[in-house]
Amino acid sequence: MLLVQVIVGGLLLGAIYALFSSGLTLIWGMMNFINFAHGEFVMLGMYAALLVVVHLGGGPLAFGAAAALALFLLGIVVYLALIRHVMRGPMLSQILSTFGLALLLRYSAFFVFSANFVSLPDTALSGTLNIGGVFLPVAQLVAGVVAVTLTIALHLLLTRTAIGSRLLAVAEDRSAAMLMGIRPDRMQALAWGLSAGAAGIAGALLATAYPWSPSVGETFGLIAFVTVALGGFGSVLGSLYAGLIIGLIEAISAFWLGAIYKDIVVYGLFVALLWLRPQGLMGKA
Amino acid sequence: MLLEAQNVAKAFGSFWAVAGADLAVEEGEIIGLIGPNGAGKSTFFNCLAGDMPPTSGRILFGGTDLTRAPPEAHARAGIGRTFQVPATFEDMSVIDNVMVGAFLRHPHRNDARALARRIVEMTGLRADQPARSLGTPGRKRLEIARVLASEPRLLLLDESLAGLTPSELQEAIALVRRIHESGVTIVIVEHIMEVIMTLTRRVLVFNQGRVISSGTPEQVVRDEAVIEAYLGRGAQRHSRGSGNP
Amino acid sequence: MKNLPSARLNVCLLAAALLLFPIAFDDPFYLDVGVAVLLAAISASAWNIVGGYAGQVSVGHSMFFGLGAYAPLLFYTLWGWPPLAGIPAGIALSVALAIVVGLPTFRLSGHYFSMATIAVAELIRIFFGTWTLVGGAIGLQGPAVARGWWDLTFRGDMPYYYIFLAVLGLLLFVTYEVERRRFGFYLRAIKASERAARSLGVPVRLTKLKALVLSATFTSAAGSLYAAKTGFIDPDSGFGILVSVQMVIVAALGGAGTLFGPLLGALILVPLQTAANTWFGGGGSGLTFILYGGIIVLIARFEPGGLFDLWRRLSPLIRKRVHAA
Repeated sequence: MLLVQVIVGGLLLGAIYALFSSGLTLIWGMMNFINFAHGEFVMLGMYAALLVVVHLGGGPLAFGAAAALALFLLGIVVYLALIRHVMRGPMLSQILSTFGLALLLRYSAFFVFSANFVSLPDTALSGTLNIGGVFLPVAQLVAGVVAVTLTIALHLLLTRTAIGSRLLAVAEDRSAAMLMGIRPDRMQALAWGLSAGAAGIAGALLATAYPWSPSVGETFGLIAFVTVALGGFGSVLGSLYAGLIIGLIEAISAFWLGAIYKDIVVYGLFVALLWLRPQGLMGKA
Repeated sequence: MLLEAQNVAKAFGSFWAVAGADLAVEEGEIIGLIGPNGAGKSTFFNCLAGDMPPTSGRILFGGTDLTRAPPEAHARAGIGRTFQVPATFEDMSVIDNVMVGAFLRHPHRNDARALARRIVEMTGLRADQPARSLGTPGRKRLEIARVLASEPRLLLLDESLAGLTPSELQEAIALVRRIHESGVTIVIVEHIMEVIMTLTRRVLVFNQGRVISSGTPEQVVRDEAVIEAYLGRGAQRHSRGSGNP
Repeated sequence: MKNLPSARLNVCLLAAALLLFPIAFDDPFYLDVGVAVLLAAISASAWNIVGGYAGQVSVGHSMFFGLGAYAPLLFYTLWGWPPLAGIPAGIALSVALAIVVGLPTFRLSGHYFSMATIAVAELIRIFFGTWTLVGGAIGLQGPAVARGWWDLTFRGDMPYYYIFLAVLGLLLFVTYEVERRRFGFYLRAIKASERAARSLGVPVRLTKLKALVLSATFTSAAGSLYAAKTGFIDPDSGFGILVSVQMVIVAALGGAGTLFGPLLGALILVPLQTAANTWFGGGGSGLTFILYGGIIVLIARFEPGGLFDLWRRLSPLIRKRVHAA
């Protein structure tokens, strides 16, 4: 019974992993670019939720939307101010740009919020459900379900809508897209907004169910890498499957080996993937 | 037979960029590859150079099967290529760029530098100029110099003469001719008909991933299939109607 | 180097300055800063080979530093052997690790390598934190009192200063030789355009591996020197992300891909960091890393060539002004 609980908990957390990883994979697939600060976007989403709850007294819908919007705007700003320029430059500056950004955001958060772990005060999602002997915090359950829904929604947005096909067109062939009247710059900015927004909402969802500190950015960043590597760079659906799998693996490792070893398992999986199957489950290398 | 491509095909997903192309190049020839945009010439070229492995078919060079070999192996075997969009080493000087090519057959710096200097002089570039300060024509010329330094037996030129002024074009044509006369076999992809007519003895025409015509330049420009490929179905009827032979 | 005589002169002056520094500034505080500068310069110059010249950006180079730091102290703690003996062991381990990391990732695009380096460094850091054999979270210590010179435990910083200087000199010499030979040309070609390099017969994957192995060797040596000097290592000071970051920022600030860029970066950044720590006290480290992050972003956005490149672009203009005046 405890194992079932661990499994379910892992899958629910994995769903949120899937959500923020889909943002990372979107940028990779579209622009061949890795955002080393993606984990920090998630972390900022969590703090955005906290600020809304503490200062404006909003409920889950409010802080979720606030986190999404704030990070969406941040993503666009980061693209316009930084990414757009380094894209044309050497690999060194491309990697340094988001890596430096990650440091900047992480340690600014340490400075502003301190290294203490925080959690959201009681919200409408407090409490625990008992389903046949399995105890599930309501917040975790709702967060997981919402995460899966949003990830699928992102996938549908990309594959079934007009704007989605424009984004994919730019990913496929920039010059061809330009000839068709699509502006790559706008689409890429939008992609960054969506990516950061996904991270932001994921952060807000995480905040409802788990405590955190500024250090989680680093951890989530690495989890995003592993998830994207497993699911395939560029595939949102791949991120969904991979996120669930990673959440599951993580939970079971923690259960059987202890909390510290779960990181070793996850990062070890990443290294193994690079060795054996870099294109992941569903992607193109 | 120096280079042989047998029924080469390349698919991207369900789209066949090259759908069964054959090519046979004897040593010492100079061959042109023409066709409308999107006909598959560049993809075919990339397969010949080893940049991407063909989905099916074989590529033989001097008898050796290079079909699945990486670009480095193609270069070592003696195939050199230029890029449609010049890929010069921007942060390095002209002579350093050429030396990278020279190092293939001359591992020692002094030998490589001597060869590079000769080639830089022959192509009329300035040795110490940073590559990033060259315009596009200069970059194209640098690419040619650089690949020459690797002493190829076969040179694949990918639109290396595009975007030049009339006098630059004459110089470039003269350069290519000199290279050919020094014993290098050349396959050239080009849109500029003057280059094709004056330099090449044999031309292959690509359309929709296939070779639709081949022959001397004069034969090929009269071929109805070729005219149709470039101008569309109506053009053929139109040209017949206006009393052309 | 354009003006050979004047460049040689500058290098000689620099060497003389570095050699005479401890004699001119006999204060233990300045000596300590000098040693820190040299150590940072060694690490960053080692990173520079693969990150600056070849353009393969490792952001987890601490994996080699840490192995180099742990090996000597482990030899001492487990078997009482002199730390000196552990240095080659550290290098051997680092070389093996370099091959393990490089072999799969170098056939993929550059981002894979960068991500792999972060993940592997973290993996090792966490692992060492749980492994009691290597001291777990507490770490290892070196000899408190020297039994001989091979214990590398000296009173005062002067011996360390000259040992570090010798290693830096060796590393810069090796880098200079690499620059001049085919290997160096191939590294720069790979950084500029892998596709073009391949088309000219450059064995890209093998060349990258060689660069990483060379870089790992010297990074490991730097770690060993660090452990010798401080007499202590733990997972964070060996494998922490900040160790990796410092290597990158020192090299990038001075000029990644140039011979003296990393040294220049060290000369600027280390005294700055020391000063910042003094001003801000203990809480300084947080602000330092905000600053580091900001500097890295600015370098990436505006001046990827670092200060060296900036100087190269400005000095003709300055010379013109001086001549006109």
